[in-house]
Amino acid sequence: MADHVSHTAYSDRRVELDADFVVVGSGAGGSAAALTLARGGASVLLVEAGAWRDPDDYPVSVYGAMRDLMDDWGSTITRGRALWPVVQASAVGGTTVINSAISVTTPGDIFAQWRDTLGVGDADFERSVLDHEARIEQELSVNAVPPPALGRSNELAILADDKLGYGGHVMRRYAKDCEGTGQCLQGCKKGRKQSTNLQWIPEVMERGGHVVSCAPVKRVMFDGRRAVGVTGRFKHPSTRKRGGTFELRARRGVVIAASATHSPALLQRSGVRLPQLGKHFRAHPGTGVMGLYDEIVDMNRGATQGWASTKFRQSPGLKLETLSIPPELVAGRIGGAGHKLMKRLEDYRHMAMWVHAVRAESAGTVSNGFMDKPTVRYTLDRPDMERLRHGIHHVASMHFAAGAKRVVPFIHGFQYDLGPDELDKLLDAPLEPRCYVAILSHLFGGCVMGRDASSGVCDDVGRVFDHENLFVADASAIPTNLGVNPQHTIMGLASHFAERWM
Amino acid sequence: MRWLVKQALVPFFPESDGLPGIAALDLDGFLDRYQREAAPLMRLGVLLGAVVFTVTPLFTVYRPVPSFWLSADTLDRHADRISSHPIYLVRQVVFLLKMVGGLCWGQHAATREKLALEPYPADPPKWRTT
Repeated sequence: MADHVSHTAYSDRRVELDADFVVVGSGAGGSAAALTLARGGASVLLVEAGAWRDPDDYPVSVYGAMRDLMDDWGSTITRGRALWPVVQASAVGGTTVINSAISVTTPGDIFAQWRDTLGVGDADFERSVLDHEARIEQELSVNAVPPPALGRSNELAILADDKLGYGGHVMRRYAKDCEGTGQCLQGCKKGRKQSTNLQWIPEVMERGGHVVSCAPVKRVMFDGRRAVGVTGRFKHPSTRKRGGTFELRARRGVVIAASATHSPALLQRSGVRLPQLGKHFRAHPGTGVMGLYDEIVDMNRGATQGWASTKFRQSPGLKLETLSIPPELVAGRIGGAGHKLMKRLEDYRHMAMWVHAVRAESAGTVSNGFMDKPTVRYTLDRPDMERLRHGIHHVASMHFAAGAKRVVPFIHGFQYDLGPDELDKLLDAPLEPRCYVAILSHLFGGCVMGRDASSGVCDDVGRVFDHENLFVADASAIPTNLGVNPQHTIMGLASHFAERWM
Repeated sequence: MRWLVKQALVPFFPESDGLPGIAALDLDGFLDRYQREAAPLMRLGVLLGAVVFTVTPLFTVYRPVPSFWLSADTLDRHADRISSHPIYLVRQVVFLLKMVGGLCWGQHAATREKLALEPYPADPPKWRTT
């Protein structure tokens, strides 16, 4: 059997493979689970809907990233009061290919919250997950962004933090010798970002595992209540034409790690009926504030994200961070059109974009929609909108502390930009979600851990209730909002789970 | 179809003193690629945005004509007002149109040169097949 099986034509013979475990999804959760299983001596089939691209094959433009790396061109949007995009990748390596590789150890209060209010995990659970996270830090070369790679936008944020005392820090990321090319969102062509397609998946293959790419799974196959494999049809990564069928059989288990949107949708269309399936979907909706400076910032030079503050994580529930975006995204984001827009775009070199992510308490649902596309229903409630507004005020304050002459808050129906003496106007900005274009980048829930089937979809080792040999190992199992970047938690949890399936 | 989308995109990004306009940035080539490569939902959204842009001058600049019959100044005003229209769904579908136009405008070498950025090399249409 070849190490890697990719798209086959519609007329080709069905691809049939078998292994101890079939892992659906090759992102942070799926690859961590697959690696743990492979290191434990199990044979693994890792199946991924997207294509396998190496750094030389990564696109350079945002257009190319949407085409080649994003899930369905990034066209998944929330259905609710506002239509907000849900950012996820579809590629071998999953979202670890296109995110900023930010590593944050799971905060201790999260384990206490799960234990005390949800009955999930115990002291051993916490210790095990944290041990895995410490190991992963070593394996994936987690370190702070080196000063030469920061770029002016991140330096300005550090300056603002020094003045305001926001308790921030230079980000720690899964990146080795970052060169600050500002291309994190399109995949790091320099190969500095330690995404799972570069690190863990090759090791899974070295240990006898196999990767099946361009292979969206249609359904999980069951023998009674026992999961025995998955089936689907290859999809061409460029033309999207349907290819041949595949059937991947699992002797010991099927692991669902297709993301917080796709995992619940896959289980639903496979006939799993559990009361909590698709519920408790949560996110960190984020929006940005642009600072306009007299000096040239050139935000697209330097690390895409290099500074963050978690000082407001508990109250009011915010994370502040830098996020540089290229001109093609600024062009769509800046308000107005025509000559007014072009005049604003002439300031691009003087712009710095910083963002905040809301630790939102609002919960939504995920269901399997038309053509197997997940349908996400999600609306921020008033307290969360107040948090979002609060975050905009904090980020704008930082810009002024760093010397910005104006800030642009991107609020519909509000003035386009504000000066330092108008800062507090932001405290009265509208609380209507439709006035904002927020992005949901950190997703949780849909197949959450719980004590039993009345409170969750899986237990605290990822076993799906009322089924045999069926496991969950991704962000969909996380039952609450973390308030920090979730990749490290997802990897730690998936490793902890997989260890116990052996 | 192409013509409809193109005439709706051009007014969003006209040439300015310091920056090139989208009309001079191989918009046809970009739209060819977009039509060929984009997800069906994205293509439909852009087409819908172009239709909305074309038929709404009556509600923005109070002229009962399609957008392509507007004078340059009035068209500029229409583009600005429709992009911040009070009706949410109108605003969103125009946002999608503008976002796709922004991809064409912002990634072009001429724009990047004006912004002191290196030109993008071509996106390699490659992936592992074995």
